[in-house]
Amino acid sequence: MNIRMATPDDLQGMQACNLSNLPENYNLKYYMYHIVTWPRLSYVAEDHKGRIVGYILGKMEEEPKDGPHGHVTSISVLRTYRRLGIARRLMVQAQEAMADSYGALYVSLHVRKSNRAAIGLYRDTLGFQVSEVEKAYYADGEDAYGMRLALHPTED
Amino acid sequence: MSTSIPPKRVLPQKEAALFRTLLQMYETKLYKKGVKTADTILKKFPEHGETLCMKGLILHSMDRREEGLELIRKGVRLDLTSHIVWHVYGIAHKSEKNYEETLKCYLQALKFDKENLNILREAAQLQLQLRHYEAHVESRNTLLRLRPQLRQNWFALAIAYYLNGDDARALAVLQQFEGTLKNIADGDVELSDILLFHVKLLEAQGDYATAIALLEGKRDEHRILDRVAIRLTRARLLGKVGRVEDARDSWSLLLQRNPDSYDHYRDYLASEGLSLDNPPPETKSRLLEILDRFASLYPRASAPRRLALDVAEGDTFRSLVAPYVVSGLRRGSPSLFSDIKTLYRDDIKRAIVEDIVLRIREELAASNAVAATPQEKAGEAPTTYLWTVYFLSQHFSYLGRYEKALAMVNEAMEHTPALPEILMMKARILKRAGDTFGAAEWMEKARRLDGQDRFLNGKCAKYLMRSGNIDAANKRLGLFTKKDSVSPGIDLEEMQSVAYLQQEGDAWLRQNKLGRSLKRYHNILKIFDDFEDDQFDFYAYSLRKFTFNAYLELLAFEDRLRGHSAYISAATAAAKIYLKLHDGPESPHADDQAGKHGRKKKRPEASTNGANSANGKASESPVPSGGADAEGRDLLSTKEPLQQAYSILSRSDGLIRNHPEFWVVTFDVALRRAKYLQAARALQTAKSLHSDDPEIHVRVVEFTSRDFSTSEARVAKTIERIASELAPRQSLEQYNAEYLQRHPNNPPAILAAARALHLIKGAEGSEDTRSLIWQLLHPECIADVKTCLAAFAFIGEVCGEDIQEEFRKSCSARFPLATIFLRPKEQEDRRKVINAFTESAE
Repeated sequence: MNIRMATPDDLQGMQACNLSNLPENYNLKYYMYHIVTWPRLSYVAEDHKGRIVGYILGKMEEEPKDGPHGHVTSISVLRTYRRLGIARRLMVQAQEAMADSYGALYVSLHVRKSNRAAIGLYRDTLGFQVSEVEKAYYADGEDAYGMRLALHPTED
Repeated sequence: MSTSIPPKRVLPQKEAALFRTLLQMYETKLYKKGVKTADTILKKFPEHGETLCMKGLILHSMDRREEGLELIRKGVRLDLTSHIVWHVYGIAHKSEKNYEETLKCYLQALKFDKENLNILREAAQLQLQLRHYEAHVESRNTLLRLRPQLRQNWFALAIAYYLNGDDARALAVLQQFEGTLKNIADGDVELSDILLFHVKLLEAQGDYATAIALLEGKRDEHRILDRVAIRLTRARLLGKVGRVEDARDSWSLLLQRNPDSYDHYRDYLASEGLSLDNPPPETKSRLLEILDRFASLYPRASAPRRLALDVAEGDTFRSLVAPYVVSGLRRGSPSLFSDIKTLYRDDIKRAIVEDIVLRIREELAASNAVAATPQEKAGEAPTTYLWTVYFLSQHFSYLGRYEKALAMVNEAMEHTPALPEILMMKARILKRAGDTFGAAEWMEKARRLDGQDRFLNGKCAKYLMRSGNIDAANKRLGLFTKKDSVSPGIDLEEMQSVAYLQQEGDAWLRQNKLGRSLKRYHNILKIFDDFEDDQFDFYAYSLRKFTFNAYLELLAFEDRLRGHSAYISAATAAAKIYLKLHDGPESPHADDQAGKHGRKKKRPEASTNGANSANGKASESPVPSGGADAEGRDLLSTKEPLQQAYSILSRSDGLIRNHPEFWVVTFDVALRRAKYLQAARALQTAKSLHSDDPEIHVRVVEFTSRDFSTSEARVAKTIERIASELAPRQSLEQYNAEYLQRHPNNPPAILAAARALHLIKGAEGSEDTRSLIWQLLHPECIADVKTCLAAFAFIGEVCGEDIQEEFRKSCSARFPLATIFLRPKEQEDRRKVINAFTESAE
């Protein structure tokens, strides 16, 4: 498994991976917007043949009220590539870059209230905490947890 | 500015004020009022060009496109030296994404208003979109001259020079700009990106020492702020400047941050003078030693362990792969086999893996048999056994041993009956064994185990597409598409799901619904056009946001866009349909590989896709899945199918690296267009890249057995030369036999040899051709359902229906699981059963 920073050449693979996994989909232009604005905040997982099997699409909050912070727009791993710790690895890379390239004080994300596996990863493995509940955040009416994790720049 | 204003442009005070209001109304989208205001002016001055243009532009924006354009053109004619009329004309073109024409109009406008900043900026943007790099430099120079106080104008000019290949001037601009900087605030991210670009330019020029000095200097001054970029750039530059120790340390640190990055390992190893790509044997032990060191340093990282498996051989390989496989089986990741199978190119490695996993299974099975609580005794969770047989099912499926694979997957299912992965695997094995219907059924069963999972849903739809249950597939997909969309297909098209469009296009093609299929492929081509358009807005955006480094990468991506494999698949599939349209049903070229449905003796859809659809149940879909003209009638009615095919393929010129298919189709098109030199060149390239590709082999024989003496003498000579380099014309039969000898048990190669033989000897060789085809069914030949299906179509053409029927029966016997050799009627019945089965879940 190869984990690396995403480049524009990966965007179509990320989009395809997103379409196979999640109901929240975006046009390629939205991915382009992310990678042109925050080129260090998106990462991909490739299998040994170079196929993209997981990605994280990250950004910085554009008009932060409480200091610079990052946000995870989307993260997912193909079903058949689960249990390898890919999501965790992608998240760690993006978090580090948010802090080291953009001085992010924390990172936030939204997760479906029913997504127990993901909540477990964010809370138990990565140390996120629930900061708020957003009612009917998703198109199908499901609530979202807003979660946060404080970040610190790493030493060189 | 032109010296004299023509009198007819000048309006009296009252109308001049109205005209200014008119401009505002357009800006604020008060279109109806705008039209009224324009009419008031025009009542008195019906020939006022600028007003006519503005009225036209407003109408154009109100969806009265033709009428609007007509007025604009009239206005332009009446006042050819007004920058406003040209600007307006340009805006109308731009709204239609006709960038070439837009730029022409803007340049015309600039002739009469040379320093119009707005138009200059837009012209610069268009020049970049159209890759007019030289003119772009000029525009940016003018803009900088007019507004030197704007930072972005300096940076933009440097970028313009860089894109025009003039790094030296780009550097000069940056240096001049940086020299003018005073009182820089802390945390200036704009400057940070500029400085990174400066470093990149120095690197591109090969001036590594200066580059690294600048990088380190500006890092220490806290001027370059992006620490991730600093780390990567610095590590790379250290290697280039020869500070090997420092480079090694830098890559070590980067590996500490990301021990799963293949690139970092490669870079680290490069700093040790080592390479992972075809490493010389004497370097292998050193490579493995280093990878092993990293593996112990980062016990959770799989990358160093996996990379070592590529390098290791023999007993070392065995000792490394065993723990790798065992840990994968224990963890229970379904992807383990797909990770391992890239090693199977090496037969010895394959045998070692097989041996290891079979042993694990035996051990686990034995401990199960003796101990009541096997997991305690063997220290092994019961799921390890499950994933072991799961792995083996994939292993045997990969080797074409489908019965064995099924036995394994059934064993897994007995162990754990309700795990979607297992059912998916059963579906996959059936698919490969040629049972598309059973495959669809099992994928549907897998889906039902977890209806909330989009991945399973998508797989299920894909399998239903393949079994020809297109309607049912779309219904499945609709469970996850937007509820307010007209149909699942329309939502997926809007969301740019290229995979879906390709699947449905292929599904229609299998049913010989060429129009519907072509429509889907064109949907994909259109999505790539949109991807190309997408970059337009990012020019101004990245100037404003100072993210030009990332923008440059986006431009490079756009330049490679139509070399993407998804584009190539759609483009070649579409071109093949155009070839069919050109060839018509009676040509020897028709239905080459279309499978059994392709054998109907009429041009299927072009003539029958009206109201009736006698055998196309799926086409009666209640919701058209392809949007307007879903049946693709407009596309089918083209008078110039070859020209269409050519223009689609030619967009990928110079971008293809690894798609033999592309060259084959390019050749086929060129041959029919009588562009023999083009055809020859396509083959030449193809053969140099993929010397033994079966399709290319057939084309080489097809080409060299032709007579080109009728071509123009000069060209004929070149063609002859290339042809003789491709294959010896005098002994093509021998050439073909040698090809076959190189691939005695490879089904696609055998079929290719049979087709080539037919090209060489025609009906006279039909006995030999026939016996070659029967070789495909020989037990020693690798089982390959897909190739046999293609052979089935081919043998029908060459040997007639009786022999074709005989081959069909033999195929059914050789592939007992396969349903794709059933008669069409039987297949249709199976399809109905699947349809009923999917509906039973609703």
